[in-house]
Amino acid sequence: MTWTAVARKDFQDAIRSRWVAGLSVLFILLVSAAAYLVRPAPGETISSNAVLNSLVVRDALVTTLVPLLALVVAYKAVVGERESGSLKLLLSLPHSRADVVFGKVAGRAAAIAAPISAGFLLPAVVLLVAPPVNFDVVSYVGYTLLTAILAVAFVGIAVGFSAAASSSRRAVAGAIGIYFLFVPLWGAVRFPLQLYLGMGGGPSWLPLTGQQVLRMLRLLNPTGSFKIVSNAFLQGSLYTGGQVNMQVSATLMLVLWILVPPLLGLLWFREADL
Amino acid sequence: MAAIELDGVTKRFGDVTAVSNLDLTVPEGEVFGFLGPNGAGKSTTINMLLDFVRPTAGEVRVLGLNAGRDSVAVRRRTGVLPEGYDVYERLTGRKHIEFAMRSKEVDDDPSAVLERVGIADAADRKAGGYSKGMRQRLVLGMALVGEPDLLILDEPSSGLDPGGAREMREIVRTEADRGTTVFFSSHVLGQVEAVCDRVGIMRGGNLVAEDSIEGLRGAVDEGETLTVTVDAASEDDLAAVRALGGVTSATTDGGTVTVSCDADAKTGVIGALEDAGVTVKDFQTEETSLEDLFLAYTEGEEGEVSA
Repeated sequence: MTWTAVARKDFQDAIRSRWVAGLSVLFILLVSAAAYLVRPAPGETISSNAVLNSLVVRDALVTTLVPLLALVVAYKAVVGERESGSLKLLLSLPHSRADVVFGKVAGRAAAIAAPISAGFLLPAVVLLVAPPVNFDVVSYVGYTLLTAILAVAFVGIAVGFSAAASSSRRAVAGAIGIYFLFVPLWGAVRFPLQLYLGMGGGPSWLPLTGQQVLRMLRLLNPTGSFKIVSNAFLQGSLYTGGQVNMQVSATLMLVLWILVPPLLGLLWFREADL
Repeated sequence: MAAIELDGVTKRFGDVTAVSNLDLTVPEGEVFGFLGPNGAGKSTTINMLLDFVRPTAGEVRVLGLNAGRDSVAVRRRTGVLPEGYDVYERLTGRKHIEFAMRSKEVDDDPSAVLERVGIADAADRKAGGYSKGMRQRLVLGMALVGEPDLLILDEPSSGLDPGGAREMREIVRTEADRGTTVFFSSHVLGQVEAVCDRVGIMRGGNLVAEDSIEGLRGAVDEGETLTVTVDAASEDDLAAVRALGGVTSATTDGGTVTVSCDADAKTGVIGALEDAGVTVKDFQTEETSLEDLFLAYTEGEEGEVSA
């Protein structure tokens, strides 16, 4: 079990790429912009949760940009080394192919978590000292962590494709395909679908109600699962109250997205001639 | 025990057979030179030792272990300088060595390794800025980490200047003295003849020769190449020459006749040519070198050599 050596090397390598520095700056700017946009009127106070719940942070940054950037940071993880030839260096050392795939998931996860942490926590220094903001440390740090977990789910997807693909073109095609399915496409069909299923439509051959189908689709989508967990968390009702089952399922789905795509990728990678 | 054992190994990529029914045994402690032109199947064979590619048929055993199933255990005891690798451009030389140490789970001083391969002064520079020769030294350093029982070096001298190639040979010799089995490939004979106990020559996916350097030298010492300048000679004229005892081969381009033969067969060759009506203007003899033999194995037409 030498995946920790692979993860450490990969993190050291990835953190030095210009991407990670650029993303840190981007995240800091976006979170700061969100804080500016939701600033309280004179004489009023707001909670730091308002920043997290803003359109810029929740919808633009976290559930739209973070998945895309996680894919960009991770899609070359394995296939990039295969194309450059450094994979031969890596596999000359006593690593199994599973060590490589899961070491890569861990390394890239850390590499995307770094700009996310910087992006949220540096602007927090300003929020912390701004008098009209009630800074809720637990929810702020927790939300940062949940965002990192969402990113790691997409890292898992990207590394899975990266391990299975024989060229980085194929890996990026797979990763971007998943992104379009889960983010823009889902965003476009969600409301029409909700209306249709809510009015009793839906496949009659399924022993499920329209609402149940909708809920399953939301759970299957990592950004959907993320929203279920993070909304409950910000409302202080995570794993308590009426929606517990849904929240537990959503948490499990995120874990599955982190582990299952790399495992599937490994099945191909294990059999591949380099 | 054998350090490397290939038994009826074949590797096909689609329609292309890269290695064909290869049997090869390298005993422990030996320095084995694996020779052949580019594309002969050397790297494919090495890649099978490391489980980078899997044989289509046959069995590969390294250090007594199955090269596929027990590959991690094999690589824990093996140092590798692969072919067609790349370094991590953004990481320093020291970080590379540290990574190799963590991977092999040994605790050692990276500086000592970098010193040994002669790039200590570049230890804290990013490997992306290294020359080809420095990269080659760095990866050799990674291979040496953890005192391996087996060193597999694929074209180790490529990219090195003559001084670097000499240092490489010295490192190989030091490792061999320590008892390490060294298996290394090259397409240039000169790089291996000074350090190898034994060589194997690959061509078109087959092992066409396997002998000690002394054995190969012995085979060629008796031979000479006779170059005869003539007025005109045809294939028919050569028939009588080829029929002589001690003649290995005879070829002509019309103006010269080239004959490989034993030293004492020379007079007979000249006589046979004159008897055939060819006017001999001049002739010179040359001892066949090991290099000639190697070139004959690797560059001549298939089947021409039967040594």
